[in-house]
Amino acid sequence: MTVFPFLPTLPLTLSYPLLFGALLVAGMLGGEVARQLRLPRVIGYVLVGFAVAPVAAAMQIGPLFEEARIFFDIGLGLVLFDLGRRMDLSWLKRDWTLAATGFAESLFAFGLVFAALTWMGFAPLMAGLAAAIAMATSPAVVLLVAQDARADGQVTDRALTLVALNSLLASVVVTMLTAPVHYELRLDLDTAVLHPLYLFAGSMAIGGAMAWLARVLARRVERNPELHFTLVAGLVLAAVGLAQMGKLSVILALLALGIFVRNDPDRHVLVNVELGRASRLFYVVLFVITGASLPLSAFETAGWAALVFAGARAAAKFLGVIAIAPMGGMKWRQNAALAATLLPMSSLALLLLHDVVRIYPEFGQKLAAVVVAGIIVMELAGPVATQWGLRFAGEAAPPPAPGPAPKGQAAKGPAAKPAETSKP
Amino acid sequence: MPLEFKPSEPLTFGVELELMVLNTRDYNLSRGAPDLLARLEKAKLPSEVKPEITESMIEVNSTVHTRYDRLQEELERTRDGIVDAAGKLNLAVAGGGSHPFHKWNERRIFATERFLQVSALYGYLAKQFTVFGQHIHIGVANGDDAVYLTHQMARYIPHFIALSASSPFYQGEDTSFETSRLHAVSAFPLAGHMPEVDNWDDFNRYFDEMSSYGIVASMKDFYWDIRPKPEFGTIEIRIGDTPLTVTGAAQLAAYAQCLAAELLANRRTEPAARQYLVYGYNRFQACRFGFGAMLADPGAHTHVRLRDDILATLDRIRGIGEEMGAAEALRSIGDQADRESNDSSWLRERFQEAGDLSDVVRLQARRWREDPPRVKTEPEAARLRAAK
Repeated sequence: MTVFPFLPTLPLTLSYPLLFGALLVAGMLGGEVARQLRLPRVIGYVLVGFAVAPVAAAMQIGPLFEEARIFFDIGLGLVLFDLGRRMDLSWLKRDWTLAATGFAESLFAFGLVFAALTWMGFAPLMAGLAAAIAMATSPAVVLLVAQDARADGQVTDRALTLVALNSLLASVVVTMLTAPVHYELRLDLDTAVLHPLYLFAGSMAIGGAMAWLARVLARRVERNPELHFTLVAGLVLAAVGLAQMGKLSVILALLALGIFVRNDPDRHVLVNVELGRASRLFYVVLFVITGASLPLSAFETAGWAALVFAGARAAAKFLGVIAIAPMGGMKWRQNAALAATLLPMSSLALLLLHDVVRIYPEFGQKLAAVVVAGIIVMELAGPVATQWGLRFAGEAAPPPAPGPAPKGQAAKGPAAKPAETSKP
Repeated sequence: MPLEFKPSEPLTFGVELELMVLNTRDYNLSRGAPDLLARLEKAKLPSEVKPEITESMIEVNSTVHTRYDRLQEELERTRDGIVDAAGKLNLAVAGGGSHPFHKWNERRIFATERFLQVSALYGYLAKQFTVFGQHIHIGVANGDDAVYLTHQMARYIPHFIALSASSPFYQGEDTSFETSRLHAVSAFPLAGHMPEVDNWDDFNRYFDEMSSYGIVASMKDFYWDIRPKPEFGTIEIRIGDTPLTVTGAAQLAAYAQCLAAELLANRRTEPAARQYLVYGYNRFQACRFGFGAMLADPGAHTHVRLRDDILATLDRIRGIGEEMGAAEALRSIGDQADRESNDSSWLRERFQEAGDLSDVVRLQARRWREDPPRVKTEPEAARLRAAK
């Protein structure tokens, strides 16, 4: 019995809204510090996460990643939906070099990382799982850096399509590799075959069903961006929830939802709403949690292997792009920039790793540490590479022109006249 | 030093078309022009394709023609080439006088020396100037004819406005105008019409005086609705929005050609001054009301409905049209005027159906791509000829 029964009992329990709000504000502040240093905001969010982790541990909140998994999944769900929506299959048909570039860079990344890891003595199946994770580029980082740079152009559009493609390939390969994992764990053959099949077909079915529902409902309501925004946001959240309930892949389900929405012949029924500010809230929290769940101690376990993992992956992405993309008529500068934008690794890789470890605890302390340490390297170097790429390609919006406006040009005589233009 | 007027074959003609470069995600303007132009450098197109002031525009320059059907054929082939190249970049291209919902401050100046100079001088007007027009060139024998024809054509400016109008929406709203594009043009200091000079010598005296004030350096500094173009030996009619189809563009050029033929064959003698008194008013009426505009007729001191004026003019030039092989174009223009239907009405109807401007632009791009359908490839065309 307490003296004042209306007071909360001690110790206080942390409520989710407080956790979300605190991470949001802290992340925002970190992002602004990064921007002042001319770095991508994403780096600020992640560094705040690094700082928050020990605080959370001291407060005995437990692993933040588990506590706040729901925010993480919603954030990633929004990212993947947005990314899927940018994957235009008809473009891949019109320009075969784009699809070929995507397959080449993903395959090279798999091959080179697999070779490097087996050379370092890791078992083939484990090396294969790690190599499959290495195929994926972080969609959240590329989307957010492109958004912050207000980038627009071929490199930006192609980068996002390639990220969608390699995220999809990585998820599919990881799913397929769960079959031999089950087999190795001496489970029956049925599980080994049916589990990956269930993951794949179930996730696609959720994506397809939600896309269908979106169009059906969109036809019933007024064609108004605000209404359609609410509809899309609601269905994305529902898809995340359904995927979790069904123990399916959030990644595949949401990517599929985006791709179905974009590529249906009736797609114009649904307004192409900007998720913009609303999704930014979840993106910030997504990166803070990602940062908080990346233990820096992984470097001690992983050692040089982490750098080999990250280095092999980066080299492969460059080789894959440089091998095919020039055939698409892009300039070398654009191709170099495109390869650089594909370097980030972040929450998607972390989630894939998480799924792998859950199914396959024997994945091993050591290899998990190598992948985590590799993610940490690319979590920091990746956004810088992407920002550099978008600027190098000339697609980032120029900063507002400094200094006073030019004055009185007309008074200087004909030399100061506007040169030929057929405008107006 | 006087401007030299380079003579050209009278009544030859050609067009310039400014086109939108769009993304295919939400059909907003993109900054795809540099990539599109780089890709088109390798394509063998009959017309020239050039950059314009912002990276969201390209300009097609046709070659010189005598018959409109040949012009249309060239434009169709050029269109197909541009559409193919744009498809590889996942971009779309469309006609129309202005983009219905883009934000001017998001545009980026195409980085050539001259466009950067224009941008430095005109500030936000340069980006605001992301609007899309059709310019029609008509060949004339000498500078005196160019001055004469420029004055006489001024009376018909409302015709071209109503027939080409394709920019009813601006910044996400219906402007209630048939064309909103012309407001962006009027903001420039040397916009309007040519002064009332009588002949080419007279024009040169005027030009020298303006030049001595340090206001102009070349003809290009005059942003008039119609202007002589001495280096091409043409007059250039710059009032029209870019139509939604290449057919529309070719037909309007044919109308200008036949009108010029009639004005050169039956010389008018009344002075230009009175026509210019009502010029601004009539121009506004046409922009606002299209075919329903009530034009002031300074000779008769009455008003005439623009639709009726176009139909009467078509009656007058029908014979010339047949001689010049433009009968079908004139019939189609007469039909549009009779039904009071232009590209702006088409766009408003699509908006009624779709309820969303982004979808209107999607349909606009589809119309540009598919109407008329793609030119048959040469072997296919040969097979069809053989089958006949």
